[in-house]
Amino acid sequence: MGLDRTIVIGGEAGQGIQTVGQLLAAACHGAGFEVLAVNDFESRIRGGHSSISLRVADRPVAAPCRRIDLLVALDARSEAVHRPDLAEGGMVLADSAAGLDESRALSFSFDQMARDAGGKILANTVAAGACLGLLGAPEDHCRKIVRQQFEAKGDEVVTRNLAAFAAGYAATREERFKGRIQAGWDLAPRRRLMEGNLSVALGAVAADCRVGAFYPMSPATGIMAHLASLSGRYPLVVEQAEDEIAAANMVVGASFAGVRAMTATSGGGFCLMTEALGVAAITETPIVVVNAMRPGPATGLPTRTAQADLNFVIHAGQDEFPRFVFAPANPAQAFETMIRAFDLSERFQVPAIVLVDQFFNDSLFTVADFPKPPEVVRYVIGDADMVDPAAYRRFAVTADGVSPRALPCRGKALVVAASDDHREDGHLSETIEDRRKMVAKRFAKLPDMEAAMRPPEVLHPDADLLLVTWGSSRGAVREAVESLRGEGRSVGAVHFCDLWPLPAVHVAELLGSRPFVTVEQNFSGQLGRLLRAQTGLAPGGSITRTDGRPFFAEEIVAGIEKNEMT
Amino acid sequence: MVTVEDYRSDFENEWCPGCGNFGILEAMKAALVDLGLEPHQVLIVSGIGQAAKTPHFLKCNAFHGLHGRALPVATGAKLANHALTVLVNAGDGDCYGEGGNHFMAAIRRNLDITLIVHDNRIYGLTKGQASPTSDLGMPTRIQPEGTVSEGFNPLAAALALGAGFVARGFSGDKAQLAMLIAAGVRHKGFALIDVLQPCVSFNHIHTHGWYKQRVFDLAAEGHDAGDWNAAMAHGRQWGDRIPLGIFYQEQKPTFIDRIGMLQKGPLIDQAAVAFEL
Repeated sequence: MGLDRTIVIGGEAGQGIQTVGQLLAAACHGAGFEVLAVNDFESRIRGGHSSISLRVADRPVAAPCRRIDLLVALDARSEAVHRPDLAEGGMVLADSAAGLDESRALSFSFDQMARDAGGKILANTVAAGACLGLLGAPEDHCRKIVRQQFEAKGDEVVTRNLAAFAAGYAATREERFKGRIQAGWDLAPRRRLMEGNLSVALGAVAADCRVGAFYPMSPATGIMAHLASLSGRYPLVVEQAEDEIAAANMVVGASFAGVRAMTATSGGGFCLMTEALGVAAITETPIVVVNAMRPGPATGLPTRTAQADLNFVIHAGQDEFPRFVFAPANPAQAFETMIRAFDLSERFQVPAIVLVDQFFNDSLFTVADFPKPPEVVRYVIGDADMVDPAAYRRFAVTADGVSPRALPCRGKALVVAASDDHREDGHLSETIEDRRKMVAKRFAKLPDMEAAMRPPEVLHPDADLLLVTWGSSRGAVREAVESLRGEGRSVGAVHFCDLWPLPAVHVAELLGSRPFVTVEQNFSGQLGRLLRAQTGLAPGGSITRTDGRPFFAEEIVAGIEKNEMT
Repeated sequence: MVTVEDYRSDFENEWCPGCGNFGILEAMKAALVDLGLEPHQVLIVSGIGQAAKTPHFLKCNAFHGLHGRALPVATGAKLANHALTVLVNAGDGDCYGEGGNHFMAAIRRNLDITLIVHDNRIYGLTKGQASPTSDLGMPTRIQPEGTVSEGFNPLAAALALGAGFVARGFSGDKAQLAMLIAAGVRHKGFALIDVLQPCVSFNHIHTHGWYKQRVFDLAAEGHDAGDWNAAMAHGRQWGDRIPLGIFYQEQKPTFIDRIGMLQKGPLIDQAAVAFEL
């Protein structure tokens, strides 16, 4: 077993927990470790309980760990909430760590030390210093990280935070802590730290997305904030719409007029966008919609995570129409998936939906540099590509259902699109013949769309039992599989990023001959039901979690063991 | 030279004979010809309703979208390519009811489009329910005792929201309406033209004759379109005398002017930038 530490910092909203998390993550990542930082917070700006869980390891980690090696409690409630998860040999750092013997607790007046260093507001930096002192991080390295973190705020802020850091660090560096990281501080980061949100936005600009329209909604807002910060460097405008209905229709309008466009929202906003999804479908206008999932129904748990919108996004909208649905596992896959979503949406002139979730969006992952994105191909034509632009028909029937797409006011060809069903030239029609023609044309795209879907990714395909998952649960599932295999159990993992149209042929090949269970963050095992509906193959069960917190590998392991699934 | 004939569409018109929409359609064609725009240079965006079918009955590029949602589609289209000349045809229910939030937001953005609202004060396509602009107490099949909401005043609302071009036309005065539409397109910024029109099938109060007896031309009475207070007073004027014309006009920076990125030209024409992590 190599290095694997989990540090949890808890406190009230407004105490700067995220700053502590960022400092620790940057310090550990900068020293050459693999880092995962998971944010856990309530839907409020002040008070309550927030925490950040930082996992530091010498190998890639993609899921949080329940067992806490170091708990930093900035308030009494944090200590009470997290102490049950303290590992053997774990340590608590708190104002008053009553009830624990001295070897496991350090009483620590964060507020007093912060005041001594220059103000109560610095308590979070004192805490970061204390953590880094206990972990054994080199002081100069840490000072550099503190400086980087605050330099945008000016010299005075840097100086005050350096003092706060030094106070915390000095108070703990001599303490005995079983979790101290003895080796590996080689200060050579080989990969980069990235928030899930950012990878989605980067994928969009790499795909030449030029319009983003959105209405703020957790946990999707970060995607649009990152996108907005990229405007200026790239030809891109982000507009905050008056509501999600407007956001989705703006995306349709921008795409119709000729640029790639996207929106991001969560389930509630997606409900409002459903109408526009239909108009994109019937007008065959490419759009990309990111749904960052959180628990529902209605407002549900606004700042927590879920994977419960799979059924919804596959079926959302009246009647039926082809669409793509993807669920990337990690930042690298999200980056690539966004590029593919834009490309496939435009190639087939259908909506593409990308499912991420709060855990993915708000966590910091250690990622490798992304590969150079492929050349952007626009599937549009102009007058020069037509024999007679005056005869252009936007919805001309073709063998594969995809009509050559011209753009409005870019030539003599008139582009007419309608949300009513229509003739090949886009004008309204209610004839039996036209309706049949258009329904057939839209669905004629399906075989090629399905062929464009990638098979699920599989680890240990010959195992006796496969754990099948999708989206961001991949990390926890893979960790569970390795753990179970370490116990001698023959298990493997299957991960779906490309979900719809379901690549049924690959699924049948992979799952037709061996038992499988699904692991997903919803009540009914939505992927399992989908697989059964599309292939007739039924899972032997499902391991689910619906409380809004991401999976730990150990609970997946326990689920398999308890149900004697192997 | 572009002529009205260039805009003639042979697509079968679906409106009721005698509908006020015909006057609006002819006025639009006359305005577009006056502006020297050819059909392929025009994008008309619409929602759902009888008014929203307008772009099918003339030659143009068209996006006939969802009920109430024409303005967000137009906003997206302008973001993508602000060189586009965009007109929006909407109904009173479409624009002021279903799309009310978008109406407010488009005015606040000062989106550079021309919004023509076919205001017949009734729902036509769904056969005669009250619309936002129906008078309080007007009986309908759904509201047999009369409507219970105050009528919405689009001109006063637009003025209150800071609209830079607020006008009212009448489907029975095609020459004036064509002038208003052309002026609205020439105006840099959001232009609202609320058009009074009869609904021959479902509104038996506000008939062509009813309007004919009441309407008058603001310009002929010396109204100063730069005077917001006078515009507001006329905006609230209704009954025996109903004003037509440009109520208010003020030039101010448009939505596009306010977005730094777009000063380099339409997004669609800007060169792609190679991705760098």
